[in-house]
Amino acid sequence: MLVAPHGGRLVDRQFEGLEAEELIGGLRGCRSLTLNARERNDLEMIGNGAMSPMEGFMCSPDYHSVVDLMHLASGPLWSLPVVLSAKDGDPEVSPGEKVALVDTSGDIWGDMVVEEVFHADLDMEAEKTLGTQDPAHPGVAYLRSLSGHYIGGPVRSVRRRRTESFPNYRLDPKETRVLFRARGWNSVVAFQTRNPIHRAHEYIQKCAMEIVDGLLLHPLVGETQEGDIPAEVRMRCYEEILKDYYPSTRVAMSVFPAAMRYAGPREAVFHALLRKNYGCSHFIVGRDHAGVGSYYGTYDAQMIFDSFDPDQLGIVPLKFEHAFYCRKCDGMATSKTCAHDSEHHVFLAGKKVRAMLREGVMPPPEFTRPEIARILMEAAAQPAGNSNAGTGEGEGR
Amino acid sequence: MKGLVIWIRTAGDSGEAVLDELGAEISGRGGRVEVFHGHAVENLGMEENSRAKAVACAMLASHGVVVIASGVDPSGLETGERFALREVSEQQLLDITYRNSFIRDLELSGLIPPPALDVHPDEEKEILKRLREMGYLDED
Repeated sequence: MLVAPHGGRLVDRQFEGLEAEELIGGLRGCRSLTLNARERNDLEMIGNGAMSPMEGFMCSPDYHSVVDLMHLASGPLWSLPVVLSAKDGDPEVSPGEKVALVDTSGDIWGDMVVEEVFHADLDMEAEKTLGTQDPAHPGVAYLRSLSGHYIGGPVRSVRRRRTESFPNYRLDPKETRVLFRARGWNSVVAFQTRNPIHRAHEYIQKCAMEIVDGLLLHPLVGETQEGDIPAEVRMRCYEEILKDYYPSTRVAMSVFPAAMRYAGPREAVFHALLRKNYGCSHFIVGRDHAGVGSYYGTYDAQMIFDSFDPDQLGIVPLKFEHAFYCRKCDGMATSKTCAHDSEHHVFLAGKKVRAMLREGVMPPPEFTRPEIARILMEAAAQPAGNSNAGTGEGEGR
Repeated sequence: MKGLVIWIRTAGDSGEAVLDELGAEISGRGGRVEVFHGHAVENLGMEENSRAKAVACAMLASHGVVVIASGVDPSGLETGERFALREVSEQQLLDITYRNSFIRDLELSGLIPPPALDVHPDEEKEILKRLREMGYLDED
């Protein structure tokens, strides 16, 4: 039997096809609020149940409870605010009003019945959820771009399969749950990633696969910061490695449409809770999961899980060290399993890998499989956006 | 799971169906449910009055049962740490939106189990078809 969704029930506030058309038709005459990229991702994940038990953008009781105590006001553990910001040019809405939720092009992606408009202390939010107020932190920079007023209330979302990126890899939580049951998987480990796959990631995933029924590879394809490797390249790497190196009956790959918040430990918990909603019983937490720069301690994202009752979490964190190839061991290992000095280890810093790929130099096969290196070299040769392809830092982020 | 008394105000004989529907919803989720109909207390060998009914509800709820009852004397429902008490009117339960929200609140509070199924069987068939088309599952 699969793990229960967070809060007990999978929320389903998503509409498609004729139902979506009816929803959109019913919004004629309603005023609209504009979603930024992160909010658009969040709306999708509230609607499809990935953020169960949340049924809308947070009102002040949930917001303050989450920022201060890491729990929703109704009790369940929750580590990050999920909020809709009031923006310049938006109408001044009032509680009880139904509004359309639109993207910057004006396309309708759902609706909301406004429950509350409230002011938030964004510096306080940054300090408590990101652990810093440094504007160089991408999460702080994001908060500084907001108005300081949030609009909360229950939402409904629209799904348009035909226009989605990675349409063959888009699975909602109820779809992954049906898939896992159909494959006979009771225990499933999720691997979150915003990096391409190197041998270290492969090793960690396969270690986890030894103790569960299946692996859900769940690359994040929502908004990331400039300079992060494009999702298309990461997906190509995974498609390539799955062909020859993983048993197809024990792995499923699907995209995770969340935006990165770079909130380190709190985001690790957030990532775990959302994967529980997808039906996963275990979650891989690497060193500095969801970290950026040097804002978080190496093990903070692993240690935070120790502060919660396992029943509250409902998903088991699997904590891994950086992995490397050891020439003496003649295999992949970590500091937990290898007795040899680092001189025997094949481990390259991200900066060096990036330089090698840009120059068309193949990294050693003990670090990156050649099939993957070729894709990364090709991407690194592209003019813009892909210049950091191949970083080996931050596995399991 | 902690016990619970759901005290339904104003449910006369004509409102008994409301109690039964709520009971069926919770027992369908695997909860242990007792619906107190009009003569339930007499059937237990106790004198029929609202105080006796409340005491019987409290006794059952303190052993983890979800008791759904109307016509009880609230002074007999001293919950202490033993069980939780929720009050709702028959009229509120007839409003489907309110009813769903009330049940959801009980569920989020951990007082009743979540629904047994996360996907309706008809929808599951559609999803399986789609998973085959997407290549996640082999064709039958």
